Amino acid sequence: MQLFRYSTSIYGGSDVMIGASWDLLPWFVAAGAAFIVVHAVVKAFAGRRQADEPR
Amino acid sequence: MSVSQANLTATVEAAPERIRRHLLVDRLYHWIMAACVLTLLATAFLPIIGVKFDWLGLHWMTGVVLAVLVVYHMVRASIWQSLRSMVIDSGDIANGWRRLARFFGATAAPPGKPGKYNGLQKLYHAGIAVLLLSIVASGLTMLLKIDTPFWRRNPYWFADYAWGVIYAVHGLAAMALLTLIMIHIYFAVRPDEWWLTRSMFRGWITRREYDTHHDRARWQADDA
Repeated sequence: MQLFRYSTSIYGGSDVMIGASWDLLPWFVAAGAAFIVVHAVVKAFAGRRQADEPR
Repeated sequence: MSVSQANLTATVEAAPERIRRHLLVDRLYHWIMAACVLTLLATAFLPIIGVKFDWLGLHWMTGVVLAVLVVYHMVRASIWQSLRSMVIDSGDIANGWRRLARFFGATAAPPGKPGKYNGLQKLYHAGIAVLLLSIVASGLTMLLKIDTPFWRRNPYWFADYAWGVIYAVHGLAAMALLTLIMIHIYFAVRPDEWWLTRSMFRGWITRREYDTHHDRARWQADDA
């Protein structure tokens, strides 16, 4: 997986960076989904622990 | 009942039931901004995942609207709103630390209540601000590469490598924005956060919500 997209220069020589790699898109979506799942689990866990505490 | 107790009771009873949280102009700004951001994300990423359509015109025009909105917000926030209410302060850091310590079972004092925004909301705002400013600055520069009714393209302003950096900043910031928007929508629909989401429609929260979630000393709110 690459971080950037490259194109071959029409003048030869080394490749030229032309932007971010779209292969990263699923990773950014996965990061958002992971945060949501972890937060929901933590909140559920914290809520249950609070409910179990003696008043 | 003493005189001071009577005065306190009278003050509480006289306090408004509705506490103003967002003016109409700020709610309109938020929802127009939301429509712009969702349009921009859709026109940016749908073609990449295979949904082909003529996206460029809608994308750049919406981007210009977003740039105007961002400038408007910066001016309004600087002059007519309280910049301090969005800056992370020592109270937010102390509250965050206490909350973290208590979550992991350590002994710590209970966290205090926040002002209008809590520490994590301020942190989120800072992240969104950095991303949006990066996207707007790079996006406005990228307009030099397309023909519009207002100007002719001139791709020779920058060298190929510089254009690559500008496009990379735009793309990476846009993908990170997608992550933050997912998180924003998640919090907006959580039942325990619904009172905040509702205030972005109605403009106010109840006095009970104000007393439950906010420190009066850190946010002196007006009645709605």
